[in-house]
Amino acid sequence: MDTKEAEFLQKLLAMFKVEAREHLNVISFGLTTMGEGGSARSAELVETVFREAHSLKGAARSVNLIDIVNLCQVMEEVFAALKGGRVDLSAQTCDALQQTVDYCFRLVDGEEITTADKSVIRELKSRLGDAVSEDSGREKTTEPMSAQDRQLAEEVTEKDKEGEEPFVQKPEITESLERSADLTPSLPPERQPPTSAGPVAPETVRIATSKLDALLLQAEEMISLKIAAGQRAAELRELKRSFDLWKKKRPRERLIGRTNDLHPDSPLLTDPFISSLDTRLMAMVRAAEYDQRSSAAMIDMMLDDMKKTLMLPFSSLLEMLPRVIRDLSRAAGKKVALTTEGGDIDVDRRILEEMKDPLIHLIRNCVDHGIEPVSERETKGKPADGTMKIAVSSKDNKIEIAITDDGAGIDVARIKSAAVRHSVVSQEEADKLGDQEAMHLIFHSGVTTSPLITDISGRGLGLTIVREKVEKLNGTVAVDSQIDKGTIFRIVVPLTFATFRGTLVRVAEQLFVLPSCNVECVARARRETIQTVENRETIVFEGRPISLVRLADVLQMKSAAARRMQEKGPVQIIILGFAEKRIAFVVDEVLREQEVLVKPLGGQLSRVKNISGATVLANGKVAPILNVSDLLKSVAKNSSSFAAGETTLPEKSLSILVVEDSITARALLKNILESAGYQVQTAVDGLDGLTTLKSREFDIVVTDVEMPRMNGFELTARIRSDKKFMELPVVLVTALESREDRERGIDVGASAYIVKSSFDQSNLLEVIERLI
Amino acid sequence: MGGKEIDWNQLHQRMAAANAMIAHGWIPSPAERKRILKERAELLAVAEEKQTTEQTIEIVEFLLAREHYGIESSSIREVYPLKDYTPLPGVPSFVLGLMNVRGRIISVVDIKRFFDMPEKGISNLNKVIIINDHKMELGILADEILGVRNIAISELDQPLPTLTGILEKFVRGVTGECLVVLDAARILADQNIVVHEEV
Repeated sequence: MDTKEAEFLQKLLAMFKVEAREHLNVISFGLTTMGEGGSARSAELVETVFREAHSLKGAARSVNLIDIVNLCQVMEEVFAALKGGRVDLSAQTCDALQQTVDYCFRLVDGEEITTADKSVIRELKSRLGDAVSEDSGREKTTEPMSAQDRQLAEEVTEKDKEGEEPFVQKPEITESLERSADLTPSLPPERQPPTSAGPVAPETVRIATSKLDALLLQAEEMISLKIAAGQRAAELRELKRSFDLWKKKRPRERLIGRTNDLHPDSPLLTDPFISSLDTRLMAMVRAAEYDQRSSAAMIDMMLDDMKKTLMLPFSSLLEMLPRVIRDLSRAAGKKVALTTEGGDIDVDRRILEEMKDPLIHLIRNCVDHGIEPVSERETKGKPADGTMKIAVSSKDNKIEIAITDDGAGIDVARIKSAAVRHSVVSQEEADKLGDQEAMHLIFHSGVTTSPLITDISGRGLGLTIVREKVEKLNGTVAVDSQIDKGTIFRIVVPLTFATFRGTLVRVAEQLFVLPSCNVECVARARRETIQTVENRETIVFEGRPISLVRLADVLQMKSAAARRMQEKGPVQIIILGFAEKRIAFVVDEVLREQEVLVKPLGGQLSRVKNISGATVLANGKVAPILNVSDLLKSVAKNSSSFAAGETTLPEKSLSILVVEDSITARALLKNILESAGYQVQTAVDGLDGLTTLKSREFDIVVTDVEMPRMNGFELTARIRSDKKFMELPVVLVTALESREDRERGIDVGASAYIVKSSFDQSNLLEVIERLI
Repeated sequence: MGGKEIDWNQLHQRMAAANAMIAHGWIPSPAERKRILKERAELLAVAEEKQTTEQTIEIVEFLLAREHYGIESSSIREVYPLKDYTPLPGVPSFVLGLMNVRGRIISVVDIKRFFDMPEKGISNLNKVIIINDHKMELGILADEILGVRNIAISELDQPLPTLTGILEKFVRGVTGECLVVLDAARILADQNIVVHEEV
């Protein structure tokens, strides 16, 4: 097979996977709903799953996945029988069908099917076969479809007439390719189904999301055009104003005779010209204003439509959940029934994607910890089957997702004690907390691995992820619970990935955006109001002392000079809050609050400390958006280094001088040290090192021993002999492993001596960390 | 006059021959014309064949410090002038910062940092070569773009200079004139270039 063909097949397979998952999700969803009874929509549902199974079969055949074709065939037969009213859907059959769907999923994902699995599949097939034959009197599923069934199948679509033999032997690859070529663009049936029951679905096209995203980006970029048009119009107005002013002043100037240098009759000053200039300028101002207004309207409308294009019904996310719940509850040995509501609400695709993990976390929590085991439920007098309800509703451009279960509920007292145990809150604080506030502690990352409600750890971590994800979308999550009655989680997120309010701050020469929802207060504080408690600076906010740190320090920026300058006068502070924590940050300037459109940093910057994304400001400049949760974590982690004492403040990230003559070793060392977060400068030998050392400040020197011009011992001795560098730690890294050399190293005053043969990263980094 | 005698006779004959050539030479006989054309066609055909046997790639040549580098143009999305960039705090030094390319945020990587090359100040002459594949996109900082040119793949067989670690993985080959051709696909796929740091 030539590469082109192989490539095509690959593409085809990728396409099939997407399509197959959609079909399977719908089938799975339909089965779950049918399994729960409720005959009102059952006929419609059977029709849907039947069509889906049939389409999937066709698609699978076109990529030659015979196992899936066979499984679909069996399902299709059962559905056909259901549709014809020849059988009823028993719980066993429903379960068998679900399992079949599971196997299809695994096959789609390209999992290996073991022989054990194969026998299960065989068994499933025969079980389903029996289900069909029970009433219709047929014996085995391995028989071809009855003529009646075939007719039914053909009604659905005419796509693959000739392939109707259910257990076709594997078609030749060439054949499948030919077929796939005409199947993939999902040709419309040659003949419209004569009786298309039900409402007509709106016409749709399948477009790669990447293309849509690119379109949205370009549409968003039009915003800057809109802003620019506004600026041009304003500039023109300004020009007109100064022109008018000049016109008024001119006759007077003429009187005083200031225009000597220009002849009074000079064409430049004759009135016809000036007045025509005036008219033209006026017309231009009007045109610019009109352009600005109309382009603004058009751009806003286009953006709005573009955003709508990216909306998907919430059901596309809900459809995958029944399967998750079934798997989870089976694994936990519990029974959980799921109902959903509001699947037809359209939500921004990107929001949906972001909501997937939180929803799964919450569902897992609910199945694992919320719903009690059957025996426990029975003693409590509850129905054996737990119920979970996911209701989606929309209001004011926001959606609320409420996840309700009828499980054990959350024990507030246990949360409090766990939070105190993990020193998230003090005992007194915990005592003061109301139930609602205490309940919120379960979202706290500090309470992660604690046995919160049950002794199964991990509950807290999942909920922290839920909160982080939701807050990243500028949403909120709340929890309410009653013991033995159940728990309800409410997530509120925006409908679209619209802009959010951001506060623009300046630190040194750089601008950053802080999400306004995390900004509690912006203020200027006089130096006297800043108190030093246990060597930390604090400030009193709402009657409570909160710690005060410099944003530049937290971000490890080199702005020491800028900081000292502002130490004299009052300092600009911005108080950020995240969950229960509050910290005051010193910034150089708070500029303004504005609309901010979040843009991702791209694949290369998969996750950056303290930064959650970036935005493009009106002038085209990029400003990083700070991640408040990270900032507070950074402060907690490095609290010792932000101590108030001027001398202990780190001026910048620690810098290391690497002296090494071998380019290989030099690059290696540089790489190791830089990835550990140090700033590294290199020198090629001792002499070079010594000069470099004098050019700027370093925190530590890492040097080779054997080098031309000046070796490491000599360099160390020279460093030690200089008063300025007496305290500078020097690490000798060498291939010489003799005791004498080690002793010589210590003699000349090296702080550490690492032998290359025992040279691994951790060793060196550990030594450096100890020395600095 | 002691020197050579001028042979006027011979001179006249040569003039006559030249005149005849001028009169007829421009219109060769049909047979002659056919021969010449065939000759030319053969020559052209041979040259064509030579070109197809030699596989070439088109590269964009640029300077890093004083060294010449190249990236295959097929993997380049675009070359963008480094008008403005935003440095990020707390990222490894090889990340120069962020750039706004028509509304998209592109991270710019200074691969000199991997190559252990001397620092050169950032100026407005710098260009950013944006490379991408289906899942990654990043800009490579170049000191100067020299142009686009074709080089034969067979030229890329020069021994690598002492390159190490991360650097060796990025290099596709070096030509005789010391042009280091980088492998964009491998740069994009390399995990070392991805920043993923939690607090």
